[in-house]
This record gives sequence, structure tokens and C-alpha cells, in this order.
Amino acid sequence: MKTKPRVAVFDFADCEGCELQIANLEEEILDLISFVDVVSFREVMKEHSDDYDIAIVEGSIMRPIDEERLRKIRTHAKILIALGACATIGGVNKIRNQWMPEDVKKEVYGDADLKGNKLFDVFLTKALNEVVPVDYYIHGCPIDRDEFKSVITAIALGKKPEIPRYPVCVECKKQENICQFELGNFCLGPITRAGCKAICPTNNSPCEGCRGLIKKAETECVKEVLERYNLTYEDVRRRCTMYNYGRKECSYDE
Amino acid sequence: MKQVVKTISKKDFSSFVNSLIKDGMYEVVGVIAKGKRYVFDTLSSADQLQLHYDVTILPPKKYFLPQYEQLLKFSLEKPFEAKPASDDTQRIIIGVHPYDIIALEQTDHHYLDEQQDTFYKKRRENTVIIGTDIQNVSERSFAGSMKTNVTDTGFDLLLTDIGTSYAVTIGSEKGTKLLKKYATVKDASPADLKKVEKIRQTVLKKYKQNVKVDKKDWSALLVANYQHAIWEEHADVCLECSSCTMVCPTCFCYDVKDDVSLNLKDGTRVRTWDGCMLKEFTKVGSGEVFREDIKERYRHRFFRKGNYLPERYGFVACVGCGRCGSACLPDIADPCNLINELAHFSSSKNTGRYFIRGETDVLEKGIIHVPRSATIKKITQFNETDSFFEIELDDKKPLGHKPGQFVEISVFGFGEAPFGISSPPGDNPAFEIMVRQVGNVTKKLCLMKPGDKVGVRGPLGNGFDVASFEGKTLLFTSGGTGMVPMRSLINHVLDPRQREKFKEVIILYGAKRPKEITFMDDVDKWKKVPNVQCELTVDRCDPSECWGGCTGLITTLFPKIQADKLDSKNTIAVVIGPPVMYKFVIKCLQTLGIPDENIYVSLERRMKCGVAKCGHCQINGVYVCKEGPVFNYGQLKELPEAFE
Repeated sequence: MKTKPRVAVFDFADCEGCELQIANLEEEILDLISFVDVVSFREVMKEHSDDYDIAIVEGSIMRPIDEERLRKIRTHAKILIALGACATIGGVNKIRNQWMPEDVKKEVYGDADLKGNKLFDVFLTKALNEVVPVDYYIHGCPIDRDEFKSVITAIALGKKPEIPRYPVCVECKKQENICQFELGNFCLGPITRAGCKAICPTNNSPCEGCRGLIKKAETECVKEVLERYNLTYEDVRRRCTMYNYGRKECSYDE
Repeated sequence: MKQVVKTISKKDFSSFVNSLIKDGMYEVVGVIAKGKRYVFDTLSSADQLQLHYDVTILPPKKYFLPQYEQLLKFSLEKPFEAKPASDDTQRIIIGVHPYDIIALEQTDHHYLDEQQDTFYKKRRENTVIIGTDIQNVSERSFAGSMKTNVTDTGFDLLLTDIGTSYAVTIGSEKGTKLLKKYATVKDASPADLKKVEKIRQTVLKKYKQNVKVDKKDWSALLVANYQHAIWEEHADVCLECSSCTMVCPTCFCYDVKDDVSLNLKDGTRVRTWDGCMLKEFTKVGSGEVFREDIKERYRHRFFRKGNYLPERYGFVACVGCGRCGSACLPDIADPCNLINELAHFSSSKNTGRYFIRGETDVLEKGIIHVPRSATIKKITQFNETDSFFEIELDDKKPLGHKPGQFVEISVFGFGEAPFGISSPPGDNPAFEIMVRQVGNVTKKLCLMKPGDKVGVRGPLGNGFDVASFEGKTLLFTSGGTGMVPMRSLINHVLDPRQREKFKEVIILYGAKRPKEITFMDDVDKWKKVPNVQCELTVDRCDPSECWGGCTGLITTLFPKIQADKLDSKNTIAVVIGPPVMYKFVIKCLQTLGIPDENIYVSLERRMKCGVAKCGHCQINGVYVCKEGPVFNYGQLKELPEAFE
């Protein structure tokens, strides 16, 4: 019998919520481990191995020691999957990039002497693909379990996962939601990648752009909409700070 | 036809609805409130009904073509198992406005044409439509000026609120039976009928939006303004979100995907709404996107409504519901506004320009979404990307194709992809295709082995009318993979049983590199047939590659044609190749004096459903999978999207 691919799950700067989404598959995990061997997954198991084929990595890269660890993971893994917004686009961790790392440190730790302590040696936040090549992306904050399943099964079958390249509006309309703009809210759905089944608008909350932008905010069409709803680019910029600080639209393969 | 009208008191109507719910035989759906808007949803009580609503967020199409719909269940464990999904729900939909009823009748034309969609058909048959006359007009609706504010057909029952009771117009036998079983009704008096008429007249005056051009004139207006700057101006502010098509009651294009269960043992083939405003809509396996510019997609949506479907079916595919107008954030989607803007400009007399009439054979009953089981007999690898497959249908029946037709090959879990048939017609139950590894399906196929099973739908498309080529000189020009379907045609006409029916045969064959000249064995055979001239060229050739032939583009082969053999008026030219090739080759053919009507081409587009339903392969108003892929150039040249 063919040996099962060995999977390891890792995390960097994150809340581990996306890993929890995997754990939340509950009894379906039995299906998952019927075709993969999970050899490392700190959140749910004690065992660890450095012998793995597929690395699923959550979290952003904040420090040189993170970068070093990620590069090591990359050399072990044949396939590297970025899990969740922190890993795919930097996500909330990039909010910090509004200030210089030294200033942030000062703000948080005051005058404490942290010199030479590698744990506190931080640089500007990076998404995984700013450090190493990423093979597949599972977007979202947190990830959508169904999308996780479809990406994993696609990889197991040897096919390219199909990640939407159209905006959240498509799925939001299929859910028959009242448009957030009509409710007086400012929603990033029109420029954000779909795949989440428009979960936020469906639950009465505007889209925050956690799956990455698929269209530049600085375009004529966005300007037109902003004017109609008495909004400015500054509003968009501020809104995008949550998940997309300093980011342009996603490249085609992201 | 004089329709029977009854009346029912509002109290009795509530009991009627409640007894339908209680009976449990039907899923009873009606218009209910969602915040300040309205939606069609399952009713638990008649009290929820909001029959005075203006418009629902989504039209009732979701009950006939659900947002996500299972077509098949397949197994990944068994060699070949695919079972069509079945939905036996009996449903009553209460409160459908006339414009939505008309939109459903329009969708019937498309889904219940000679190639019926079995899933749609069943849902239509299992649904009772209880319509309601409009009482409140939505802000953006222009149904009044579209004459879609009232209807005499398309419903089983139609309610009109006439005060303390509803007038109930009976539209079908189903409606009569339903009333008889569940309701207490009286005959409507002449006074009641007058009230119905009066309400309709009063509501008609409430429309704030009115389209200034009669819908029968939309087609001419659009055709005359195909190149108008308005498309670009509006498209500049388009978000490309396709909200307009999602909420539209007359938009019915779809995409199909294979979902695999986490156990990797089984999966489902799912159909979901797709939108022509999305860039991926026309993207083919090789990565090419047709209508890449948003301006072209924006224009396509309006032409589909105002010219393409009117030419095909005789109706404007807009019912004036106003949903797209209110869903579009930059507010450029509303046909009423667009047509009114265009109204200042001239109209054309020639309206059918972007449409070609053509018919194809209808697939066997029930086969529209369900592939037949077939076995891979032989795989020959041509080069790193291209392999040649021999596939045999497991029922051992010949495919029964014509040269130029194609098949959809399914690999469950991976999806379906179209392939031109490369073998000539005949009694052989096996047929041949070439597979170039470009996407998930083709890459998987190339990992499969003889004996493995695939699904086959087809033959699809029109194919060549070879009988009409008899007595003519034939000039075949193909570039790259264009030789795959061309080979079917060439081997058919060079078959000793056929050969004498045709005069000279000239074959021009080009590829990028020598290794892409994949049919060398055939070429050698063709060269031995009397009165066949066969010329080859490659775009370029590295010194390391072995190539004794000509180098240069396909057009460099034209001077080699022995002109004395070419009676241009009596020659049929067939061209198949990559999109970029056609323009140049056709120029060469015209220089040779071959009339446009004697030139045939076969085009590649995103053929997904293969039965002119899903919309992906359209060139202007033409479904390539139905009216093509073989086209007469004389007709095709009228379509601006054909060679752009």
C-alpha cells in the first residue's frame, strides 16, 4: 500500500484560530487521517517529527528567528500551505507596520532592557510568501472549514485547488443578503476575494477584507462608489488597515 | 382566451395557505420580510406572507436553478459510477409577480428547448405558481413600460387584492384542482373584475422609471451602437462583481464543479450560478480569456438581453424588475437607464447581425448532464505536454460523430473538459482525442492508464457537412492542435471509400516546433494518396532538432500551392488553428480568390455544458457548442467577437 503523505501543522504570530478550525472538523478528522499522517500539530497533539511532506503554516513572520524557522520548515516540506490571513496576507499582524518596530517595542515594553534578547528582536511583519515560496493558500480569518477540506482533498488527488478570483458580492448575492451599503454600512466585499460564502454580511456584519483584495482600492470604480456613499479613499485605507495594511491587490496565484 | 376568475376572502385565503402547509404534501414558499426587503422563503404560517411587497432580493429562479445544485453523485472508489441527483420536492410558490412569471417562461425557452434540462424540467413540473398582481412598485422597477407588469399566462393561480378579498384568476388545471381541494371560493362578479382592471391601471401609474424605447426596438438600437463610447464610459466604473447577473431573473448561465468528500471516496458534481461579468467566465484551459476587457463583458450583458436572446427566441431578456439597478453600487447596470441614454442615438435596420442560426443533433434522452462510461484503450505520448488517447464506449456502440464534433470527457473529482475528436467517423466503438496538459482534467488524464474509466458526453457541436464538399477541391490549413479535429476530416475524405467524391486535396500543416508536428505517421500516409499535396512548416527549429521541412509561419506555405490545381471558385477551404492564425490565413485564402462562403473554420471557446445552456462559449449571440464549433466564414465574419 502507498504510504500516506505526512503532514505537519505549524504556527507563528497568530491566535491559532485557524488551526482550531481544523480541530473543529471533529469526527471528520477521521476521514482526514485516513489519507494523511499528521506528524506534528502542537495545538492538538504532543508528538512531533521533522519528517513531513506537507507543512500547513499559520501565522505571520515577525522576527528574524521566525524567518529562520520558516526557512527550515520550507526545506523539509515538499508542499507548503499558508493557513489563514496572518499567513496568507499578513492580516492583523500588519497593523503594526504602521509604526517602526523600535517604536512599537518602546510603546509596549517601555524602557525594559531587551537588548540581545532574540525573542523581542522584531522587524516589519511579513506574510509567508514574503519569506519563502508558498504552494497553496487557504484564506480567511478564520479559514472556512469547507474550503480547507476542498484544498486538502484537491492536493491529495493531485489537482490544483480552485480558489475564487471573484469578489464576495457573488456569494453574498447567492445568500440573498441585503447589501451592506443599503444598510448604511461600508463593506469591502466588492473588492475582496470570495470563498467565505459571504459569512460576515450573512451575519449582519460588513466584509473586512480578510481574504485579501482582488482589486486595487485606487480605481475609478471604487472612487465612483465611494462618492455615492459619501466615503473617501482615506476611509478605504483605514478600513483596509485591519487585514490589508500596506498591501495592494493579491497576485493571480495567491 | 377568457380566463375563469373566482374570489376568495382574505380570511379564507389564509386558511387555504395554512391547510396547504398543514397538508405537508408541498413545500409552501411565499414572500416574507427580510429587514426592510423581501425574499421568497418557506412558510410556516400564512401570517408571514407579505403580498403587498414591491420586489424580492432574488427572483424565484432559485427554486428552479438553485444557487448550488447537485447534478451527479460519483464514486472515486469504483471504476465508474455516476448517479444523477434527484429532487422530488413538490412546491407551491405564492406571490410571484408577473415580471418574474414572464422571466420563468423565458427561462423555459432556454432550458426546455429541444435539448431539455431534465433537472430544471422536473422542478418546473413539480411546482405550482400562485402569482400575485403588483400592488407596490419598487423604486427601480420599469416593468410598466416593458409591459411585464401584467400577465395572462405562466401561473396556475393569480391573486389580485381587491380589498377584503382576492380575485383569483385560474391559469391551469393544476390551479383548479388546488382550489377545489383546499379552498372556498366564489365566482367573481362583474364588479370584482372591474376592480381587478382598475387596480392594474392604478399601479401602472406608480412607475417612476420608464424605458423610452419600445422593447421590440432594443435590438436595432443596440446593433447600431455596438461601437458606442458608452460601453467604455460605464465599464470604467464597473466593479466586475456580477451582482447584476446574480439578482437577474433572466440570467441563467452556470458553472459546474466537482466537490470531493473528505473521505476521498465519493463526491458530487455541483452546478452554481455564474456571471458573464466575471473575467473567469470565458477562460479556457490554455489560459486564454475571451472578452478580457470589462467593456466587452459589460456590453455583452446588454446585448444578451436586447439582441442575442431576442434574435434567438423572440423576446427581450429583461423584464424590468429593477433588481440589477438597485444591486449595482456604481449604478451602471440598469437597462432602463442604458437604453434611455442610447435612445438619443440612431437605430439600425439590420438587427440579426450578431446571430447565426444553426442546429445540432440532440443528445440521447437523459444524457445532458450524465456522462456515459468509457474505457481508455491506448495512450501514446507525443511530447512532454501532449498525449494521444484512444477511448472506447463501454456500451460498444460507435460514437456516431461527424468530423469537427467534440466530446466532453469527465474524470470524476477533477471535472470535465472538451476535446475535439481526431478519428474519422466509422463503426469503430473507439474514438481518438489529443490531450494537452493545461488544467486539472487534462493533467489527471495524462496520469491515467489503459483500462481506466472516464465519462463521455457527446458527440457535441455541429461538425462539418462533408456531403456539401463533394465534387470540390479541398484546401485544409491547420496550425498546432488544430490538426487534431482536422485529422478526422482529412482521414474521412481520404478514406478509399470516399476519396473519389472529392477532387484535389491540399493539406497545409504548421506548428511552433518540430516536436509539435504530432501526426507525422498520418502525413506520410496522406502523401502517398494520389492527388494530395501536403506541405509542412514549423515556426522555428533549434539546430539540435531534426527537421527537414520548411520553417516560417503557416502563411509561408501558400505560395507552394500548385495554382493550376486550384479552381478557386470550386474550392472549399477549411482552417483550424490557434485564434491568432485565422486572420492571416483567411487573408491568404482571399488572395487566392476563394470566396468567403467557401471558407470554413472551427473555433475554440470555453465549451462547458456542450448543449448551449451554460453560456461560457458564446461569441456574441452564438453558442459555439451548438451553432459551432464549425462555422462558415461568410456568416461568421459578421460577428465582431469571432476573431478579436
